[in-house]
Amino acid sequence: MAEEEEDSVSGDEIIGYRQQPGKLPFSRPGSGGKNRFSEATDPEKIPISQGGSLEQPWGPHRHDELVSGQIIGKPTALVDSSWKVTGRAHYGDDVRLPGELIGRIVRSPHHYARVLSIDCSKALELPGVVAIATGEDAKNRFGVLPVTKDEHAMAVEKVRHAGDLVACVAAIDEATAREAERLIEVEYEILEPIHDMRKGLDDSEEPIHDRGDYHIGESNIQKRVFQEFGDIAGMSQKSIASHKKSWLFAGVNHGFTEPHAVVANWDPSGRLTLYTPQQVPHYLHRALADVLEIPMHQINVHRTFVGGGFGGKSDPFPHEMCAAILARKSGRPVRITFDREEVYWVNRGRHPSRIEMNLHADKEGRICGIETDALIDGGAFASFGHVTTYYNGVLHTAPYEIGAFHYTGARVWTNKPASGAMRGHGAVNSRCAVEVGLDDLAEELGVDPITLRLANLLPPHSATITGFRVTSIGMRDCLERVKEESGWDKKFRKLPLGKGIGIGCGFFISGSGLPIHWDPNKFPHATVHLKVDMDGGVTIHTGAADIGQGSDTVVAQSVAEVLGLPLDMIRVKSRESDTSPVDLGSYSSRVTFMNANAAISAAMKIRDELIDATVEITGAERKGLVIGDRRIFLKSDPAVGVSYLEALHKAQEDRGALVSSGAYRTPPMGRTHKGAAAGLAPAYSFSAYVAEVTVDVETGQTKVDKVWAAHDCGKALNPLAVKGQIIGSCHMGMGQVLSEEMRYGRNGNLMNPDLLDYKIPSVHEMPEVVPIIVESNDPEGPFGAKEAGEGPLLPILPAVCNAVYDAVGVRTSELPMTPEKVFKMIEKRCRNEGVSDPTELECPSLQYSELQKTLEERGEKHKSRDKERRLDEDRGDYYNGALFGLDPSTPPDEVDPRWEVRVTPDEVYLASPRLAGSAWKHTERRHMEGTK
Amino acid sequence: MKMPPFRVHSPKSLDEALQMSQDLAESGEEFDWIAGGTDLLPNYKWHINVKSHVISLSSIPELRELSEGHIGSMVSISELAEDTHTHPVLAKAANSVASILIRKSGTVGGNICLDTRCYWINQSETWRESIDWCHKCDCGTDADCRVIPNQNTLCVATYQADLAPVLMCLGASIHLASPKGVRSLPLSEFFELDGMKRNILEKGELVTHLTIPEDSSEWVGDYQKLRQRDSWDFPEAGVAVLWKGVSSQGPERLRVATTGLESIPSLHLEEAEGALSSWRGAETIEDLAESIRKAVKPVQNTWFSPAYRRKMVKVLTKRACSDLLVI
Repeated sequence: MAEEEEDSVSGDEIIGYRQQPGKLPFSRPGSGGKNRFSEATDPEKIPISQGGSLEQPWGPHRHDELVSGQIIGKPTALVDSSWKVTGRAHYGDDVRLPGELIGRIVRSPHHYARVLSIDCSKALELPGVVAIATGEDAKNRFGVLPVTKDEHAMAVEKVRHAGDLVACVAAIDEATAREAERLIEVEYEILEPIHDMRKGLDDSEEPIHDRGDYHIGESNIQKRVFQEFGDIAGMSQKSIASHKKSWLFAGVNHGFTEPHAVVANWDPSGRLTLYTPQQVPHYLHRALADVLEIPMHQINVHRTFVGGGFGGKSDPFPHEMCAAILARKSGRPVRITFDREEVYWVNRGRHPSRIEMNLHADKEGRICGIETDALIDGGAFASFGHVTTYYNGVLHTAPYEIGAFHYTGARVWTNKPASGAMRGHGAVNSRCAVEVGLDDLAEELGVDPITLRLANLLPPHSATITGFRVTSIGMRDCLERVKEESGWDKKFRKLPLGKGIGIGCGFFISGSGLPIHWDPNKFPHATVHLKVDMDGGVTIHTGAADIGQGSDTVVAQSVAEVLGLPLDMIRVKSRESDTSPVDLGSYSSRVTFMNANAAISAAMKIRDELIDATVEITGAERKGLVIGDRRIFLKSDPAVGVSYLEALHKAQEDRGALVSSGAYRTPPMGRTHKGAAAGLAPAYSFSAYVAEVTVDVETGQTKVDKVWAAHDCGKALNPLAVKGQIIGSCHMGMGQVLSEEMRYGRNGNLMNPDLLDYKIPSVHEMPEVVPIIVESNDPEGPFGAKEAGEGPLLPILPAVCNAVYDAVGVRTSELPMTPEKVFKMIEKRCRNEGVSDPTELECPSLQYSELQKTLEERGEKHKSRDKERRLDEDRGDYYNGALFGLDPSTPPDEVDPRWEVRVTPDEVYLASPRLAGSAWKHTERRHMEGTK
Repeated sequence: MKMPPFRVHSPKSLDEALQMSQDLAESGEEFDWIAGGTDLLPNYKWHINVKSHVISLSSIPELRELSEGHIGSMVSISELAEDTHTHPVLAKAANSVASILIRKSGTVGGNICLDTRCYWINQSETWRESIDWCHKCDCGTDADCRVIPNQNTLCVATYQADLAPVLMCLGASIHLASPKGVRSLPLSEFFELDGMKRNILEKGELVTHLTIPEDSSEWVGDYQKLRQRDSWDFPEAGVAVLWKGVSSQGPERLRVATTGLESIPSLHLEEAEGALSSWRGAETIEDLAESIRKAVKPVQNTWFSPAYRRKMVKVLTKRACSDLLVI
């Protein structure tokens, strides 16, 4: 140490008068971080392509040279975990500002009514009441999607569901606010409500929303979609086996731990700070500006810790507007915290859905057609519904190569709490229907359902039937792994009555290709700023919202990896819109992919500057320099190099702190038909689960015993977090398949808006989950990574449904399949088969047909095809359709006249449409008759 | 959720508690007894029949006594479940109540006196206002029953506690005290068929303890419970079957009781008697189970439908009897 100091003093020759510098207060080598000395680089962490020994079965990656062996791929506790486990994380309701008032919301007791008058006089007289606001105070509409702004802060003219907001009050404490709530007198004219989504398709005398210029008849249809791709005419002609089922999915709620809470504060300079647990702070930022009629720069959206989101905190919410309005009126901070019941009123959970699913297979065991009709119940507001309506169709056009795809979808407004985006947005229900259908189809064809899937997969780097560009695909590996680890061949159709095993797959977007508010060619999806000052710590400014999924950790890991720093030298500032560059938020599983990519590009700029400085100090050749743990050195002679701090300080000479900015934009993708952008993503995740269940045949009670869950996340940047997401997804999906439902009573009231009667599985119901991570090394993902937050939810539903069939030979068409429903199906099967005691039922059995061998062979052939494609940089195009004998290098519709692309129905279809398809019977009008 | 304000009184002895209840009654004030609070306080948070005073029983030592044959009303459910003197079937039922946390707070007396439950009442005030209230808590509106409108003067809210059926089958007696004095009666006579009145407790009266007859160790049997989840959930149906003196001719005595199906738990004397009168083994159990299914009349006010709950009562009865056939 003494020697070092001597060195540094003698190295600094002082000429003339200069303030004495700090005599190198930072030790070297290494320095910074908890461990003073840098560690030698571990070759096992460095990819083979860079001279290390880390195997790369899926080929090299463009980020390989950035790998410093620090943190990527190592199980890492989330960077904010100690805040949470010590109880020091502040969530929405933990924000306490001096002089705060408590806000409460007056809600409609009616499903649908016109608000005739609101009398606040008695409430205003109550001592302690400071401000009251109604719809009159903020008449501008807002909504998460710019195309469907249909919400107000509080009712303007009408209330649209029981629990809809009518007025709000701020008082000195909660008791006074509640008392004031009671004293506000509202006069209503009750209107005829719609509860059944099917009625939403009809013309109505009093449509739930006045849409201004655009109408679909006089109905309550908010969005309708028609899509036909492929050989539609040939689909049923060629089919030798078909599956047909009409499903009813109950609506489910996210069930996050933290109820919504918000604090609004206007500071003396006239700026608003809104503290809220938001997944998507930027959209809220925009909506606040619209509703409050102030410019965006006057608002600071401060995201608190988020106690779970799952899509349920991704809309701009009316209560957030209310808090801001009350705070403006009262001149004091206002805090509003929801009761659990209010969480259900604001909802945005998964849509209750009626889905008809038809599948067709041809004589070669190819899936020659998928026909889907999905009517989804949007509740009172549009929310993300425009997108959900597409996702219910387009997100099951992979991972299988298909001969034809026909989709009709419609979303209707009803007088219920609004549905919206929820983990696995729009894909979950129809995916369940497809995967259960494939199980049925496999049985009809006399083949193993896993074999059927393995013989029909799209290869890596291909295009789906609707034109999605799919890059990395780890589907085959997922299927093979779960098949092997679950002991599938010994169990499937071989377990005793009441025991069953089932398979299900999933496919999900890794980031939505289109930013909602702008052209992707104009602005980036994500931007990250870095600042590195003399202390060596790196400050990351990002707008990505950590909602518990670990986005702060992923961005910190990415920067740490590129700069060769330990994680404790990275600090993430992601909370305030004042300091964070715009990020679109935590939805559509976009954050790791987009934000980490932006972070990497920002870190690369700092890295370049550090290497430049190293060249200057050492005189070494730039090309040979690499970054290790807090040290930059020559790969060929590690003794030649400098510490991170030395390089940093050199780079800072004459300019101070280093700053950089990195951004991510999606590449141009997709086709041009109407709706082509919905479902486009820069990458897709894949998953396959096997579930093993026990069904009590006398009571219908189903217990999931074990789940083998394989998910292709490209590259597990943090395997611990990926496993957590897989296990958590299993739990959430299990709730939807077995017990969770928003149950509406005969009067249309939500009967179970509380966590006792809304049945989230408890620890007793949770099976052992074996998470299996498959890494397909996505070429565009950060270090190869793709999403792991939503996709893993999809397969658990069908896997459980199929396992129940294996156990007792009944297939549900309703979720959740409560014991009651399973028992009913068992009873029915007993009646049909003349069996009086259900314990004497026979298990389903499987006799392989000749097709089994054909499929096995095709699967093997495709396996080598896939391997070649994933490693061959010069691979040609592969368009869906090649499996059916078409040229893989051209989109089939360009060469084959039978291959269609249609986005509006013809008269033949309209003569006998299916349920959601009947939405197309209405005439679309672009403006009100006579008004324009 | 905020509870309306109320005053808590904490008497140190039973006499003091009774005196307090008398004083409050004389000054025209209403009150509730509070034991573990796991049932009362959620209802208070929902603003269901809130009183301005509560008298806590937690500091009264004589109510906590637990010995062979004597169970104080303030014994916690987990203490009962873990006590070595507890009859195994009673311990099984106790262990199945709610969750471990609730069993630590919840008491035997509280469980016996559990308020009846219904989809239309166990909701927030705003929610209940949206259905124009119901007659169990009508807020002065004379509201009707929402489960069976226009025909029911009684409340059909469901009694969903686990201990009562087992205690009834063991022949337990319940002991009450009020400012007027004490009284004792068989537990099976304690309940009153009305979800509002629930039991025979008079104003100011409380449960001090339960006693179990000395022959309880000779009784064996089982308690079976239906619910969606293995934790938290109230029983959607519960069946206790206990018997003694089994031979190949069947048991000497047999008792069956159910819970979670009506606004009171029921001891099914006739059905059990019928089974004993002509014992034919498995066939009798089948008939007994069928007769219990017919005897119960659940309504649509809990998670599972009445039809399913009745069918399951039959299955649960058979399962509770399964040891009868092993001999």
